[in-house]
Parts: sequence; structure tokens; C-alpha cells
Amino acid sequence: MTVKTTDFIIVGGGVHGCATAYELAKAGYKVTLFESRYLSSGGSGRSAAGLRQHFGTEVNLHMAKYNLKVFPTLEEELDTGMDLEFRQWGYMWVAYTDSCLDQLKKNVALQKSMDIPSVIFTPDEIHERWPYLRLDGIIGAAFCGEDGHINPQTLTMAYGEAAARYGAVVKTYTPVQKLLAENGKIKGVVTESGEEWHAPRVLLAAGPHTRPLAATVGVDIPVYPERHNILISEPVEVFNCPMVLCLDDGAYFKQCPNGTFMFGRDDQDEPRDLGNEGNSVKFLAGVTASVLKRIPALSGVRVVRQWSGPYDVTEDHNAIIDWTPLEGLMVNCGWSGHGLQFGPSGGRVCKEMLVGEQAFVDLHRFRLARFAEGDLFFEPAFI
Amino acid sequence: MELIKEHPILEYKHGKEVVFTLDGKELKGYAGEPIAMALHANGVHIYRITPEMKRPRGFFCAIGKCSSCFMVVDGVPNVRTCVTPLEAGMKVETQHGKGLVPLEAQ
Ligand SMILES: Cc1cc2nc3c(=O)[nH]c(=O)nc-3n(C[C@H](O)[C@H](O)[C@H](O)COP(=O)(O)OP(=O)(O)OC[C@H]3O[C@@H](n4cnc5c(N)ncnc54)[C@H](O)[C@@H]3O)c2cc1C
Repeated sequence: MTVKTTDFIIVGGGVHGCATAYELAKAGYKVTLFESRYLSSGGSGRSAAGLRQHFGTEVNLHMAKYNLKVFPTLEEELDTGMDLEFRQWGYMWVAYTDSCLDQLKKNVALQKSMDIPSVIFTPDEIHERWPYLRLDGIIGAAFCGEDGHINPQTLTMAYGEAAARYGAVVKTYTPVQKLLAENGKIKGVVTESGEEWHAPRVLLAAGPHTRPLAATVGVDIPVYPERHNILISEPVEVFNCPMVLCLDDGAYFKQCPNGTFMFGRDDQDEPRDLGNEGNSVKFLAGVTASVLKRIPALSGVRVVRQWSGPYDVTEDHNAIIDWTPLEGLMVNCGWSGHGLQFGPSGGRVCKEMLVGEQAFVDLHRFRLARFAEGDLFFEPAFI
Repeated sequence: MELIKEHPILEYKHGKEVVFTLDGKELKGYAGEPIAMALHANGVHIYRITPEMKRPRGFFCAIGKCSSCFMVVDGVPNVRTCVTPLEAGMKVETQHGKGLVPLEAQ
């Protein structure tokens, strides 16, 4: 068997793997990316396409601000002809209890201190601005008008295509079977088709699959899968309905640029293992009942399709971006349901760390050792 | 209304004759028969105008699959008129584009 060599190997063709491949290739490095199926086939392509600056921790806000700096011109920068559908119709977090509203107010105060134009709205202000919403029982909401939508599939594929244009080798339908290590250092990967690739630096960005992959070289990454369902409606004329996230039962809805609506909702009974890609009828009944009472104008609108995707969850709902104890092996995973929008900043910091530069934000909070040290870092704004 | 009255094999029994409106104009049809059938019998062939190319669309698959006959019925857009039974007083409208959902009503 011939062994191929490269400078950097990335496992996972989601938004983080593709964005990192793009940043590396653009800077002139030799990089090979492996993806089991097609680019965006994991969590990235199945997400609700939402982007926001509503977080309650500084590091997430720094990165969220960076993402929003990149998105407006990213389509032009990647130059693939793909429409990234970037829109800023806003994102609203709706509180039904005092403790919830207090947390939103804290988050907004932090956001304002970082020049993010978030506001707290009263129920009357919401009614005035969006008369079609029927948010009975709410006591207030946090809203940021700069937040919005980006097409998750074209975003991921465009990063991958642009990376390839800069010389990255992007190998789709090529699952990595295991990692190779030697003398305490990473050596490379072996694919299921039997190819062996060597590189001194390997990045795992395989979502919830990061854990079993890292385990092949004895490294434990505490990230676990959690299935989340989502549906899409037929299109209706666009009325710029923002993302509305209801913090009583976790239901959310938003209009997409083509007029369709996405609905999602939490369900604690969903499977928490890999390889469970189906979806549930219970979700369909629950989410439509919950969302339609809040936006009755959609009552006659038909559902076209529903699907599910895996969240890669960590104990404190924050990502892990760090080197592992095995020299040369790095991970970027654990985004716990908010990782699509972090493609631009995730790609940038991973490239910086992989080539030995200083990351543009302090990533101490995302370090792997926090779990073993019991120094967890909770993100209050997660869905 | 132009409908087949006699057929060599099938026997027709229409429901009650009712009045409905198309873009505000009163028309007659039989209750319980598809809206599209009533429109066809009244010589109406354009049901909607497509969102992007602005092309006219009308009766096509007649079994609720093809999206050609979408109209706004009682304020709800994208109603498949070929499989939706006509009722007295229905407000049927030609659909322009994707159809507006009723944002002010309720
Ligand atoms: C229903 C739902 C809604 C969501 N909504 C949002 C939202 O509105 N906004 C937001 O920012 N985020 C959202 N997310 C979260 C977001 O999708 C993820 O955080 C993000 O996509 C993670 O990207 P990633 O690149 O890390 O992982 P993924 O996109 O999961 O990519 C990992 C890739 O690795 C591949 N892979 C796995 N094993 C192997 C192997 N052995 N060899 C090769 N390749 C392998 C997989 O096929 C996959 O393509 C949502 C997620 C879901 C499920």
C-alpha cells in the first residue's frame, strides 16, 4: 500500500472542517480533508441556519461578532457562484418567567458592553412590531436585529469548494476508519477504503463522531450525540419573520429567504446515540401545535419535510477547541447546537492553532482539560 | 356552467347548487365538487401566476400532486383546488406568487 503524505489532515466535512481547510489552503498550506459522505451531510447541513449575537459569555460573543463581520462579504470572498442566502431579519429570545428574563437581561447587558445592538422588548413593543405573533403569557424578550440566517448547505459546500480551488484535497465519501499514532505523536489516518495518509498535524472536526475517532488512539473527548428534529414548510410570500425562540418549551420558528418556514423544538426523549438518523411523528405533532398557537397566520401552511440532525453536546454546552494529550492531534467539536454560525471564527482559530500562530481570541475557556479539572464553563444562552 | 350531463356508463348526481366568488365575482357551482371543477365549468382556466417567471398556471394533474392549481381560498394560500370541495360562499382568489398568509386577521 502506498502511503500519501500531507501537512495537515482534517477529518469531517462540516462547516468547521471545510472552513479550516479553506483558511489553511488560502494561506498556502497542504491540507487533505476526509468526509464520510458529502460536504454538509452531518449537523451542518441539517441545522436551522440561524446566526446570532445572543450569547452570555465573552468568548462566544467575540467569536459571534467576528462571524457577523465575515458573513456579509463571504459569498463574494468564496466566489463559488453559490448563494449563501445571508439575511438579517433578527433573532428573538422570548421569556415566560422572571428568572429567564433576568438571564436575558444579563446577556444583553454583556452584549451591549461589547457594542452589540441587542435590546430587551416588552410584550407591548413586540406586539406593535410583529402584530402577527401571539405570544400569550410572555413577559419580555431579547432581540438583535443584526442576527439572522445563512444557508447551511451552501455555506459548508462553498467553503469546501473554495478550499479545493486553493489546492486543498477534499475527499468526500471517504470515511476515516482510525487514527494512527506513534511514540506519543499523531501519525495519520487510515480510511475505510484502506488508504493510509500521514501528516504531523490532524484536526478532528467530526461532530459527535469525534469521540469514537479519538478513541482509536486512546484519547477521550467528552462529547455525546443528541438527536434534534426540525421541519420545513411550503413557501409563502416573504414577510421577514425573525427567528423566534420560545424559552418555555424550546420551540422556535423562522422564515427563510425563499419564504419557507423552519420549526424546531426540544424533546428530551430523543435518542442519544450515533446512527439514529430517522425522525419522530411525536415531534411533528408537538412542534406544530406549539408553533401555530404563537403564529396562527401559518395555520393553513403545509409541512413539506422533516428531518433530524445530531447535536454534539458537551456537559457545559460549549465547544472544545484544543490540542489533545496526543501530540499533533487537535479537536474542534462540542458545539452543542450553535456551531453552524461559528464556521468563520472556528475555521480561523483552528488554522491559527494548527500552524502555530496566536489564536485571535483567547480560547482558554474551550480547553479540553476543563472537564477533568471540573472547571466547566457554562453558556447560559443555548438551545 | 358547462358540465357533462349524461354519460353512457356513469350516473351523475350533483350536490346543491351554491354561489361562491372568484376574485370578487360571483359564480355558481355544486357543493362538494372540487373547486377547480366549478371553475373549469365556468370557463376559468388561470388559477395562479408563478412567483418568478410570472406565468399563468391552471388545471393540470387533478389529483392534488402537482401544485399547478394552487389558489387563495378564504385567505389561505396554496390550497389545492383540484381536491378541495366547494362550499357555499367560498372566497376563491387567483394566487399571485407564493401567496400571502393572513397576517392581520384573527
Ligand atoms: C436540528 C438542528 C438545528 C441546528 N440549528 C442551528 C442553528 O440555527 N445555528 C447554528 O449555528 N447551529 C445550529 N445547529 C448546530 C450545528 O448544526 C452544529 O453545531 C454544526 O453544524 C457543527 O459543525 P461541525 O462542522 O462541527 O460538525 P458536522 O457538520 O456534524 O460535521 C462533521 C462531519 O464529519 C463527518 N464524519 C463523521 N465521522 C467521520 C469519519 N469517520 N470520517 C470522515 N468523516 C466523518 C460527518 O459525516 C460530518 O459531515 C443545529 C443542529 C441541528 C441538528
